[in-house]
Amino acid sequence: MTDSSIKIVLKNVSKHFGKVRALDGIDIEFAQGTLTTLLGPSGCGKTTLLRLVSGLEPVTTGEIWFGDENVTGLSATRRDVGMVFQSYALFPHMTVAQNVGYGLRVLKTAPEEIESRIREVLQMVAMDGYQSRYPDELSGGQQQRVAVARAMVLRPKVLLFDEPLSNIDSKLRRSMREDIRRLQQLSGITSIYVTHDQAEAMAVSDEIILMRNGTIEQQGPPQSLYHYPATVFVADFIGESNIITAELIGSGGKRQIVFGDIKISVSVDEQMPYANGPVKLSLRPEIIELLNSNPNADQRLKGVIVQRAYMGPVIEYSVETKAGTLFTRVPAHSHQFQVNEKVYVHIHPDEIIIIPENDDNN
Amino acid sequence: MNQRINTAPGEIGPWVLLSWISIALAAYCLLPWTALEYGLTDFTKEEWLNALGWKFSKITLILPLTLAALVPFGLIKLPGRGTGWFFTIASGTVIGAVLIGFVTTQTSMGLGCGVVMMCLAALFAVGISELGFQRGDTFIAGAVIFVVFMVVAFIFFPVWEIFRNVLFTKNGEFAPLQFFQIITSFGVGRVVWNTLMLAFTVGAATTICGIVFALYSIRATSRIRVLIRVFYILPIITPPFVVGMSLILLFGRAGMINDALMFLLGPQGLFTPAGAQGIFERSGYIYGFSGIFLAQVLSLTPVSYMVISGMLSSINPSMEEASLTMRANRGKTLWNVTLPLLRPAIANSFLLGMISSAADFGNPLVLGGEYDVLSTEIYFSIAGAQLDFAKASALGLILLFLSLTVFFIQRKWIGKKSYVTVTGVETSGNVTPLPVGMQRCMTVFVTLWFVLVGVLYVSIFLGGFVKQWGADYTLTLSHHLELWSKGLGSGAWPSFRNSLTYAVVAAPLTTLVGVLIAYILTRKQFWGRGIIDFGTVLIFAIPGTVVGVAYILAFNTPPIEITGTAIILIITMAIRAMPVGIRGGMSALSQISTNLEEASVLQRAGSLKTIWSVLLPLLKSTIVSSMAYSFIRAMTTVSAVIFLATAGTDVATTYILSRVESGDTGVAVAYGSVLIFTMLIFTLLVQFITGRSRTEKQVKTF
Ligand SMILES: Nc1ncnc2c1ncn2[C@@H]1O[C@H](COP(=O)(O)OP(=O)(O)OP(=O)(O)O)[C@@H](O)[C@H]1O
Ligand SMILES: [Mg+2]
Repeated sequence: MTDSSIKIVLKNVSKHFGKVRALDGIDIEFAQGTLTTLLGPSGCGKTTLLRLVSGLEPVTTGEIWFGDENVTGLSATRRDVGMVFQSYALFPHMTVAQNVGYGLRVLKTAPEEIESRIREVLQMVAMDGYQSRYPDELSGGQQQRVAVARAMVLRPKVLLFDEPLSNIDSKLRRSMREDIRRLQQLSGITSIYVTHDQAEAMAVSDEIILMRNGTIEQQGPPQSLYHYPATVFVADFIGESNIITAELIGSGGKRQIVFGDIKISVSVDEQMPYANGPVKLSLRPEIIELLNSNPNADQRLKGVIVQRAYMGPVIEYSVETKAGTLFTRVPAHSHQFQVNEKVYVHIHPDEIIIIPENDDNN
Repeated sequence: MNQRINTAPGEIGPWVLLSWISIALAAYCLLPWTALEYGLTDFTKEEWLNALGWKFSKITLILPLTLAALVPFGLIKLPGRGTGWFFTIASGTVIGAVLIGFVTTQTSMGLGCGVVMMCLAALFAVGISELGFQRGDTFIAGAVIFVVFMVVAFIFFPVWEIFRNVLFTKNGEFAPLQFFQIITSFGVGRVVWNTLMLAFTVGAATTICGIVFALYSIRATSRIRVLIRVFYILPIITPPFVVGMSLILLFGRAGMINDALMFLLGPQGLFTPAGAQGIFERSGYIYGFSGIFLAQVLSLTPVSYMVISGMLSSINPSMEEASLTMRANRGKTLWNVTLPLLRPAIANSFLLGMISSAADFGNPLVLGGEYDVLSTEIYFSIAGAQLDFAKASALGLILLFLSLTVFFIQRKWIGKKSYVTVTGVETSGNVTPLPVGMQRCMTVFVTLWFVLVGVLYVSIFLGGFVKQWGADYTLTLSHHLELWSKGLGSGAWPSFRNSLTYAVVAAPLTTLVGVLIAYILTRKQFWGRGIIDFGTVLIFAIPGTVVGVAYILAFNTPPIEITGTAIILIITMAIRAMPVGIRGGMSALSQISTNLEEASVLQRAGSLKTIWSVLLPLLKSTIVSSMAYSFIRAMTTVSAVIFLATAGTDVATTYILSRVESGDTGVAVAYGSVLIFTMLIFTLLVQFITGRSRTEKQVKTF
């Protein structure tokens, strides 16, 4: 089946609502058979982008291609797209079977085939046997599965999900997102998935596109966004992060970063694009270690615990240092610190993320 | 994998174009191209043949050849947007040419021409949708054209005719000063003043009564409040002038009150010196301002009650509780907290009361006496021997202007929300009860009201069974017998049958157009939407008498000459009832998520299929109640149809009014009570059916 999947290309796509520029000059390629997540804060244009791809909304300028077909002018009916809405949008006056079989009936499929296709797709979402129920007789999670089944039953070229799990409680959400991922990989349909939950995005996607104010901030696989954020915004949005200012000095393979009153050598590639000078550092909480003795003074920041919160398996600390207040998390079984206690902060040099100062306005 | 048939869903296949073209050709060949002398219900074979299109040398071949020439373009696909441009321009040109032909030759269009035009309009819709209008959705493009046509032909054009009659003299000379001559002529100022006075006082009074009823029904701890739930049905099912008639039975010169007083106090009354006329003796105090005022307050208060109680029941009780805990007593709380919160509803009710009072025609006609208002004055300038169309138009313009002004004030103040009227009246548990003394006063008031209304309706009912109200109270069946037992061709039957037929046709038509308008206004954004939007405003605000004048002016002459036919009455009834469909459609559609329609579209369904399979089932109860209400409105309306009904197309209300005018009150009230009774049974039936189906569905649908 995977051989029939297509790639989706957006060429310089913009969408304006009156004066609001919901999307501004978007260029993206969604590789065939992948699941790509659109991530970003509320109002950044995720839903709009999805609706442009579906054809429910026309583009203001630009082109949309499915494989080698330009679909910009095609209406939603002719685009061969399946979509799962945040509200599920199941037809309340139709049973599960009627909901799922709706598109098949529109296409005048033979009745026997309709029935078997409904069964097949309901089996995929583990909802076989619910055919004669009405949507309001189903739980939220079940409704969501039916919505997924309905979106997939016509075997569309493209599957779109607009925050499909946001109305489902957090425990169920975890298993549902795995189901969606499994179904998508099984069918190999090129999919776009909108969410503003970054953990969900990391868990399901081949690729994440982080959006901001109608533009693309960064695109890449989850790990690359996590480990190599291009901007402070990305570092802040994906995972948790302490952002501090520092200076990059030295040359060749031996460069150093200076922040607070310490200097840390970093092993960076020769080709590393960063120029010497002021930079931002993103320090993930898990690379910050707290110590109460100090064998190696010039590599450690001195600090004072200003806040401590017991979270069960971990304890969260805020530490005030010369480089700013740092936030970290320590397993509860290790040594515990008290508020106002003096500590030394060790930062694993290899895990420091350097973000060039210049191209950021955050 | 590949589901595509040769035409993708939503795409126009050649057969669509070809079938429209062939319908047009068939209509041209078989149906009368020009209007038949006596309409479609009464013609000879000769007349029919003579009216056929190919009898007219000027178009004998041009039109069918043009139509035939379109055929190949339906079969081949022109490059790019060629097909779209071709059909847009070709059908547009032909429509224009036909219209110009009819206007210049002063001929009236016939049925065949109507069908041909409709087909051409459909081809036009195909053309512009191919060009990208409505994103290529032909059905929606067609619906938009249909609605725009309805609005332009039956609202804008007639209203323009009113303007034309005021601005131009009979000979077609431009005379803008004519308007000022008319309105400054003797009497017009007084009529306007009368109308305004009445509208203002009625607006205020209905609002106050509405507040009392709303407070009483929601806040009082009394039994009779359940009666209030029923009482707002009455004015809906009662023809507007019947309340006026019953007031005459009660308070008129020969009314019961006068009789009773004379009986008690003697013919002279108590304090009247011998020889002078008694205060009560046969006095006409009910005619004029007081009578119209009373009749309008009685029939408009339920509307005001619905507006205010809808808002009252949505007030959060905690606001009032907060005031009570700050030691304000119940009375103060009511005055300082509750009433200010109701301000929008109060304003809305007041303005609605004003508009309805100014537009009311039946009550002033029956009760007016010396007190002339715009709506009756308009009627009398045409109905009498005067036939002064210029004056009727000028007065109509003033009335339209007044009512539009109030309507715009209402829209601006209360926002578009007032469009979506509050329907259900719900009582929440924890409300502040009324102060004891106030509740007592209200109980007295409400009881008196019900007694009065009860007596009025009973007197209508009894009035049909006595010989001569006021003079001879002998029981008799003669009025009813005269109406109903003289065979189906005489008495009340023809008018009753006409009313039923027209209403049965008008109700679905108005619901269809109303819901389509609501759909377009809530769901579609496009250039030209403003036309429909403004048309809707006019439909909402235009008084019935103005519609009557405008239609007489617009449709009495070619190219659309339909006065005196059933068609015009049906269209009038449809337009008069349309606000119901639009309001109902808008509030229902605003509660249906557009995601449902989008989900359907993504399942490859075109918009027609989406509307049919998704929207219609969800709108079912709205459509049923809108149809029922439109039907009742059509049966009871009088203001516009009285201008348009003729001997052959008399309807129930106009027949009753004509009997009132000729002094047969007994017959009139006998007919009126039967009409009310029929409507009551119909309403109960509809409520029973929809009520049951809703509870049935409730389990499944929501
Ligand atoms: N139909 C519309 N008319 C006008 N503005 C719109 C419309 N739809 C979206 N917008 C605007 O476009 C911008 C992007 O909206 P969009 O719904 O795509 O955001 P989103 O990223 O999906 O946000 P959320 O996470 O809250 O769903 C917003 O500023 C929004 O106000
Ligand atoms: Mg969104």
